[in-house]
Amino acid sequence: MEPAAKSGKFSIPIGPQHPALKEPGHFEFSLEGEIVTSATARLGYVHRGIEKACENRTWIQNLYLLERICGICSHIHALAYALGVEKLAGVTAPPRAQAIRTLVAEMERIHSHLLWLGVAAHEAGFDTLFMYSWRDRETVMDLLEGLCGSRVHYSANTLGGVKCDVSPRHSEAIHRGVDFLEGRTRYYMDVVTHDETLLGRTRGVGTMSLDQAVALGAIGTTARASGLARDIRVEAPYAAYPDFPVRISLETTGDLLARFLVRLNELLETYRLIRLIVDHLPEGELQARIPRRIPEGEAISRVEAPRGELFYFLRSSGSDKPDRIKVRTPSICNWSSVLVTAIGHKLADMPMLLAGIDPCFSCSDRSVRIHKKDGEVEQWSWEILRQYGIDYYR
Amino acid sequence: MDTVSSLHQAQELLIPYTVVATHPSPDRLDIVLRTRNLLPAVQALQAAQWGYLSAITGLDHPGFDPTEAKSQPVEEKKWDRLADPYIQNVGVFSTPHLETLYHFCQGAAILTLRVKVPRTKPVLPSLCPLIPYATLYERELVEMMGFEVNGASSGERFILPEDWPDGVYPLRKDFESLESQASSGGSS
Repeated sequence: MEPAAKSGKFSIPIGPQHPALKEPGHFEFSLEGEIVTSATARLGYVHRGIEKACENRTWIQNLYLLERICGICSHIHALAYALGVEKLAGVTAPPRAQAIRTLVAEMERIHSHLLWLGVAAHEAGFDTLFMYSWRDRETVMDLLEGLCGSRVHYSANTLGGVKCDVSPRHSEAIHRGVDFLEGRTRYYMDVVTHDETLLGRTRGVGTMSLDQAVALGAIGTTARASGLARDIRVEAPYAAYPDFPVRISLETTGDLLARFLVRLNELLETYRLIRLIVDHLPEGELQARIPRRIPEGEAISRVEAPRGELFYFLRSSGSDKPDRIKVRTPSICNWSSVLVTAIGHKLADMPMLLAGIDPCFSCSDRSVRIHKKDGEVEQWSWEILRQYGIDYYR
Repeated sequence: MDTVSSLHQAQELLIPYTVVATHPSPDRLDIVLRTRNLLPAVQALQAAQWGYLSAITGLDHPGFDPTEAKSQPVEEKKWDRLADPYIQNVGVFSTPHLETLYHFCQGAAILTLRVKVPRTKPVLPSLCPLIPYATLYERELVEMMGFEVNGASSGERFILPEDWPDGVYPLRKDFESLESQASSGGSS
């Protein structure tokens, strides 16, 4: 930290490693006293060159690579990619597959929004809410693990369909889980709107007007909190959304409180949608056949990730590998909104403001625990897991 | 407004600047522009409040098959064939060139403005005077594809590491790895 003697301004670097946000991003704020006068960002600390890596892998290999862009919204990346490749190949996944894709996408939205609620509460210093919401999030994580076999990278998608089916036992468990979460979400809604301490950190903080949201190109929940009705599920329905329409969740005040409300209301809508899908799953196949070589052409695939519009551009030169894959993740759109709305706020509000757009943490790591039938728990190392995989597919 | 009339409106707005317009799918409209018409075209969209800039894609058309010997231009390879209808209309850039795709979305409608620039002098105007948030996308183009965007870059690294060599653009087709780059003596 170096004081610039003449102007009386202080420049505060935050990150890339910092205690406030569990994400490697670097921000530099200029301050006059406590008030932020300018903000800049430097990203790329977890840039892994995935777009380039895609060009050296086959279409099906890329499905697994792209799913690993994010450890929170993994399914939605695989979904956007699979839908794009299917467009290029002229293949449509069967209705049951589309419904299961939508179901997993909405369950992922629950886990993502509850995770965000915890992070935001933590940034506000409200760690009880953080621990409650993360405890409840385990409910949906367990449901996803039961359905797809994994908590984070569900790998529900394949090109042309899905790999997992929903059995009556699953749907019963999903109903039970969603009922529990709905009760919890209503409780959180009460906490968020009535707890004076939390309201002090959220009401009127980081306000982005509708005009600003338009000018800054905000998307997803950040845009919807400012009254900008952008939701790809509504505007350009994909997968099974045409059959299971979504009611958009909008707020108008544009402050941090509005961002809480939009996400919590969206959770309630998601519960409704999940019940509807589970009860009305179309019968039929899970996969359609797709060629190994994808015909020449270009396709654009847009989906609504938990953080907003996810944009994929795919280009094929007719081979078994893509020519170019461009991924525009939602967080990149919302950075500008933080950098602009930060100005005029106190430095102490910055962690909350940064967390307010739910920036995407792009890495996750997890060992596998096997719960045996007799109640014994066994921890698997990477080597054992790898060998298991090799032996399994031998 | 439905998708068809959205795209129709965009097509009407951009008639003065259009070199060629195509509909790759019912929800998409691709318009090839000359570089000098990019800003006026975006201005026309903005004046009519048509959509928002959703993403910018950079494409490399190296004019050779990167799996074969490097920097030997091969005529009529697959790279050209794909871009052929555009190349005929734009006229100047057969090989090699870089292309930028500006994707604008309104509802389900996707409008893509396509601009081609020579690979040796890939200069683009910045959209920032009209769309300030385009800066993040443009800086990505600059670092990853090696475009020169007038007025976009602050000169500091945005995505790539500080010690990344200058003039090496990882998303170009002839880039494989830093090691192979070092042995062959830099980017083409």
